[in-house]
Amino acid sequence: MTATAKLRAYPALAGLGLIGALALGRPELAAIAAPFAVFVGVGLALAQRPELRVYSELDRERQIEGRHVQVDLEVVAANQVERLELLLPLPDGIEAEEPNPRMLGLGRRDRREFELPLLCRHWGAYEVGEVLWRARDAFGLLTFEGSGGEHSWLKVYPSGEAVQRLLRPLETQAFAGNQVTRARGEGIEFADLRPFTPGDRVRRVNWRATARRGAPWVNEAHPERNSDVVLFLDTFAEARRTDTGTLDLGVRAAASLAAHYLNEKDRVGLVSFGGVLNWLTVSSGPTQLYRFVDSLLDAEISLSYAWKDLDIIPSRTLPPRALVIALSPLLDERAVGALLDLRARGRDLAVIELSPFPFVDEGQSETEELAYRLWRLRRDALRARYASLGVPIAEWREGVPMEAIVEEVRAFRRHARVMRA
Amino acid sequence: MAAVAAAGGLAAYPAVQDIRLHWAAVGLGALALALLVGGLAAGQAQPVGWGVAALGAEYAVHFSGNGRALDELTPMYAAGLILTGELAYWSVERRVAAWGEPSVLVRRLIFLAASCAGAAAVAAFVIVLASASRGGGVALQAVGVGAAVGTLALVAALVRRFAPEVDSQA
Repeated sequence: MTATAKLRAYPALAGLGLIGALALGRPELAAIAAPFAVFVGVGLALAQRPELRVYSELDRERQIEGRHVQVDLEVVAANQVERLELLLPLPDGIEAEEPNPRMLGLGRRDRREFELPLLCRHWGAYEVGEVLWRARDAFGLLTFEGSGGEHSWLKVYPSGEAVQRLLRPLETQAFAGNQVTRARGEGIEFADLRPFTPGDRVRRVNWRATARRGAPWVNEAHPERNSDVVLFLDTFAEARRTDTGTLDLGVRAAASLAAHYLNEKDRVGLVSFGGVLNWLTVSSGPTQLYRFVDSLLDAEISLSYAWKDLDIIPSRTLPPRALVIALSPLLDERAVGALLDLRARGRDLAVIELSPFPFVDEGQSETEELAYRLWRLRRDALRARYASLGVPIAEWREGVPMEAIVEEVRAFRRHARVMRA
Repeated sequence: MAAVAAAGGLAAYPAVQDIRLHWAAVGLGALALALLVGGLAAGQAQPVGWGVAALGAEYAVHFSGNGRALDELTPMYAAGLILTGELAYWSVERRVAAWGEPSVLVRRLIFLAASCAGAAAVAAFVIVLASASRGGGVALQAVGVGAAVGTLALVAALVRRFAPEVDSQA
């Protein structure tokens, strides 16, 4: 309970008026002072602490960026509350679609329910549900504050990018999947013909070829296998404007790619490489998608001056023959060096460069423009270096379909030859 | 705006009259308006209280130059003072920019009107009591002093009971 300034001023005014009336012998001063005293006296005599119960409930715990969730609010008052302000504090990234805060009046044993739709504007894990309230008595002399509602975690997953054809690793794993391997064995996709050898199944005999050549020939096929994909997210540094940045692009891309790969029965893992190292070992299935996205929600740029290289990454997070897709703005030397190191160790690597250019101003002065051009040249040189090492690299900007970037990398891998650095 | 308009009306009442300490009334009226406008502009409650006090002081100056006759407009003046104070504190009270139910505003306006009417009634009651007992002597004056002190003590006791901490913002 807090007294307002009016509660301090009105008795003082009444006192001054009454003292003045006595000093000057004028009843008019007592007459203008008395209402202030009566106002305070009656107001305090009638004031009572509001007995409020506030409930809040989120209609869902998970939602995708750009969509809505709803908070159901309920206020129950045991006594009359003349003016009640209700506020649902919202973190950055969540916006109320209807008035928040709102002011209402409640009668005795009154109950009010309303719904507050929220827009999930940005991916992340948010704590919402606590409701702050402030009530005043009818005379405006006392203020009562409190809180209620249930704390709930709302996970906002990054919105997806449409991808139809995925980037395929050079080598596959031993388990069954949707990817046609380069090797020959049991499968559906026709690969070649070869002479029959003891032990071949009769159903694999190619009768047309056998009749033409006069000796039994059998069909060979490419088996369908799964693959391991590790998404390598650079969280050392980002280029950012107020509402979006390269990390947002990276998180959205990682979530989309993971969902698509898992849908293809591949195993997917995550390495979030930055000031704080975070990883998720490769696995498959729908549960892995939830684990993956939950891990992504923890991704943030943590300032660190410590030099970090691949040695700090647990070896099991980068399984042999896994395709490593790096999502990086290539702004930090440590991430750039780690990617080069990966390539030098013979890893199957593709880099999706999260372009920082839309987030950087060219500058006004001649010196700034020169620095900007030099910076761009250095980035071009870095890209050329990756390409010369056989690492496909494609620049991705917001608004460009992910499909185009994947196709660019696929085209590079069709023509490039793997080199050892 | 409404608070300043109400205060302007109250300040003008003694200032436009031909009284002995006219310059003091004009000065106090101007001071009251300046304090109110400053307090409202800065969102501070303290100058508002001083502004209302200055309006009362201007009214007191009015009596000093007006002889012994009772002012019949005192109830109106008391209602105006309450109106000014309520509107001004409404403006500077600590709150968030909230969407409010229309019924809350309507109830508050009704309460404001009732407060002004009540203030006028209380002031009229005091004036009637004073006019009925003019020249009552030392005993009656002692009763008046006792009533004033008792009223203040009662209000102070209530304030102490209900206000463990004072919020200076609003």
